[in-house]
Amino acid sequence: MTKTKMAGIAFAILAAGSLVSASARAQDYKIGYITDLSGPLAGSYTPTWQGFELYIKALNDRGGINGHKIVVSIDDDGLRADRAVAAAKKQVESNEVLGIFGLSLSSTQAPVIAEMQKVGVPLVSTFSAILAALPPAKANYYSTGVMFEVAGEAIGTFSKKVAPSGKVVGMTFDSVGGRAAILHNKLAVEKEGYTWGEVLFPVRTADFTPFAQTAAEMKPAMVVGHYGAEQNIGIIAALRGTGYTGPYVIASYGASEDTVKQAAAQAGSGDNLYMISRYAVPTDDAPGMADLIAAAKKYGVVNPTSMHVTGWVLGMFAEEALKKCGANCTRESLDKAIQGVKLDTKGLTGGSIEMSAGNHYGPTYWRLYHWEKDKLVGVGDWLKETDLAFPTN
Amino acid sequence: MELFVSILALGSIYALLAGGIVIVYKASRVVNFAHGELAIVGAYVFHSAGFLTGATLTGPSLLVTIAISAAGSTLFGVVIYLSLMRRLLGRPTFVAAMVTIGLAIILKAGIVVIWQSRSVGIAIGRQPLYSFAGGGRIAWIDLVSIVACVLMFAALAVFFQYTPLGRQFRGAAENPLLAAQRQVNVNLILALAWVLAVFSATLAGVLFGSRSMLSPQSTIIGLSGLTAALVGGLDSLRGAALGGFLVAAATYLTARLISPTLAETVPFLILLVVMTWRPWGLFGTLEELNRV
Repeated sequence: MTKTKMAGIAFAILAAGSLVSASARAQDYKIGYITDLSGPLAGSYTPTWQGFELYIKALNDRGGINGHKIVVSIDDDGLRADRAVAAAKKQVESNEVLGIFGLSLSSTQAPVIAEMQKVGVPLVSTFSAILAALPPAKANYYSTGVMFEVAGEAIGTFSKKVAPSGKVVGMTFDSVGGRAAILHNKLAVEKEGYTWGEVLFPVRTADFTPFAQTAAEMKPAMVVGHYGAEQNIGIIAALRGTGYTGPYVIASYGASEDTVKQAAAQAGSGDNLYMISRYAVPTDDAPGMADLIAAAKKYGVVNPTSMHVTGWVLGMFAEEALKKCGANCTRESLDKAIQGVKLDTKGLTGGSIEMSAGNHYGPTYWRLYHWEKDKLVGVGDWLKETDLAFPTN
Repeated sequence: MELFVSILALGSIYALLAGGIVIVYKASRVVNFAHGELAIVGAYVFHSAGFLTGATLTGPSLLVTIAISAAGSTLFGVVIYLSLMRRLLGRPTFVAAMVTIGLAIILKAGIVVIWQSRSVGIAIGRQPLYSFAGGGRIAWIDLVSIVACVLMFAALAVFFQYTPLGRQFRGAAENPLLAAQRQVNVNLILALAWVLAVFSATLAGVLFGSRSMLSPQSTIIGLSGLTAALVGGLDSLRGAALGGFLVAAATYLTARLISPTLAETVPFLILLVVMTWRPWGLFGTLEELNRV
C-alpha cells in the first residue's frame, strides 16, 4: 500500500471519528458522548447514540443555539470501565468538552464520575442511571434515563394491570443492576399482595432454556425480565417453549418494540407480551415523536425505535442545558445550568424532565405497553415516580 | 423427559461445534479459537439470506436459504484456508492458533459493523412437537438438532472410513510429509478440513439461533464447543460428540438442580478435572498430545 493511500485511509478514519470536530470554531459548544458501540450491549446503545446524533444534526441545521453550533466528540467504551475513563479524559483534555453525555452501563460510570468530579465536568447519563443522581445527589452527575431501582418499583405498581394475583417471577442476569432491579421489583409486588420467585443466571449466558424451565416450574402468574434486548428475545422464546403462555413483562433496559417484535417472531406468538417504558414508542401520537420521525426520514435513519427516542430526548436535554448556560458557557456554568433545566419533551416522556441542585434525576414517568398484533399500545396513563419507596440496600 | 431432550438438543449443537474444532486440529494441529465466531457469523448470514428469500422461512424459501448458507460456508472455509492458513504451513502451530484469535476478533467486529449488533432470532422449528401432561414441551428444533448431529457425525464417519479422500485425509493427518510424498494433495485435505469445520460451525450456529437467539455475545458458544473438544480429546470425533453432551448435561443439571448462576462455571470445572487427570482428553491419544 502506498504512503498516499495509507494517509488517505488515516484521514478518512480521523474525519469519521467525530461529527465536525475538525471544523469546530471557538464559539461552538463542544460536548462529548461516550457509549458502548462495539461491546455486549452495542445493540441497545447504538440506536440511542443515533437518536442523540440525529437531534444534534437537526439542531445544527436549524442554526444551532443562537447561532452557535454543537460539536460532539463520540467515543466507544466497549462496555469497559477503563476505556470509558480513558475516553472521558481524552475528551476533556484534547477535545475540550464542556460536558459529557450518554455513558453506558452502570458498571462503567462510577470511575468516570470520580475522574470528572476532579475536573468539574458535568456528566449526563441516559441508560442506565445510577443512584448517585438521587437526593442527596453527587456533584456533576445527572441522568435523564432508566434507573434499575426505580424501574423495578414501577413494574411492581403496574402488576395489577397484568395479572390480578399469584406469583410474580423476576428474572435477571447476575449483576449489580439486575439484583437492584429484582430487589425493588420484589418489594413492590409483595406490597401489592403477590408472592415472589426469582431466577438469576450468569451474565454471559447464551442458551436460556434451563433458566426458563426453572421459571416455568414456579407456576408464575407473570414473569418479569430485567435485562437487555438479547436476553429478552432468548428468554421469551425459551419460556414459550416450556409451554408457559402467561404474561411476560419486558423492563425497558435497552429493549424496544423491535425487541418485542423479534421475541414474538422467535416465540411463534406475541400474545401476552408487555413492555414498561420510560419513553414513548414511535407509534405513540406525540408532537415530539413527529419531529423525531421527520428528522429520521430526512437524515436516513431507518425504523427509529424507543431507543432512538431515548437518545433524542437526551439531545433535547443537552440543547436546553446549553441554552441556559449561554454564549460564554464553561464547565462550571453548564453544571449550574443543568440544575435548573425543566424540559418539556413534547410527549416523549410522561412529563417534564426536571433537575434541581439536590436532585439530579427528578421525577420519572413510566408507561405499560401491550403488544397487539404488530405494535405496542399503551395501557392506561403514565405513572409518576418521585422517589424510591424502598431502601436501596 | 423435557430436561433430557433439552440436554440432547443443546449437546448436539456443542458436539457439532466440537466436531469442527477436532477436524481442523486433526488435519493441521491448529486449535481454532474462532469457531464460535464462525458459527454465529454463519447464523447471521443464514438470517440475512432468509430475509432475501422470503419473510417466512418455510418450504422453498427455507431450502434456498439453506443452499445459500451451505454454499457460503463452503466458500468461506476455502477463503480462510487460502488467505490465512496456507501461508502459515510449516510455521509453529501456535502462530496459526494466534491467527485464529485475530480472525475471531475480526469476525465479531463484522457482526457489529454489518448487523449493527442487533439481536435476532431464526424463527424456524419453534412449534411444539410434543407436550407433556405435567407441563413442558419439546419443539421441532430440538428434534432437528439431534437428527442433524447424528447425520453429520455419521456422514463424517463414513467419509473417513470408506472413501478414498477420507482415507487420504487420515493419512495426511497422521503424517503430512509422508502423505505428500505419496502424491496426496495435502493442500486439498487442509482446505477440506476448513470447509467441513466452517460448515459444521454454521450448522451449529443456525440450530443455536433457532432455539435461542443471536447477538455478538452468542459467540460465547465457541467456548462451550472448545471445552467439549478438550474434554473429549482434540483428535477424536467420538470424543467431540461425548464432550458436547457432557458439557450440555453439566450446564443444564447445574442450572436446574444446584444454582442457575453456577451453570456456566461447572463445565469448566469438569474441564479442569479432565485436563489434570487425563490431559489428552477422554478419547484423545497421548501420542497426539506429545506432538503438540
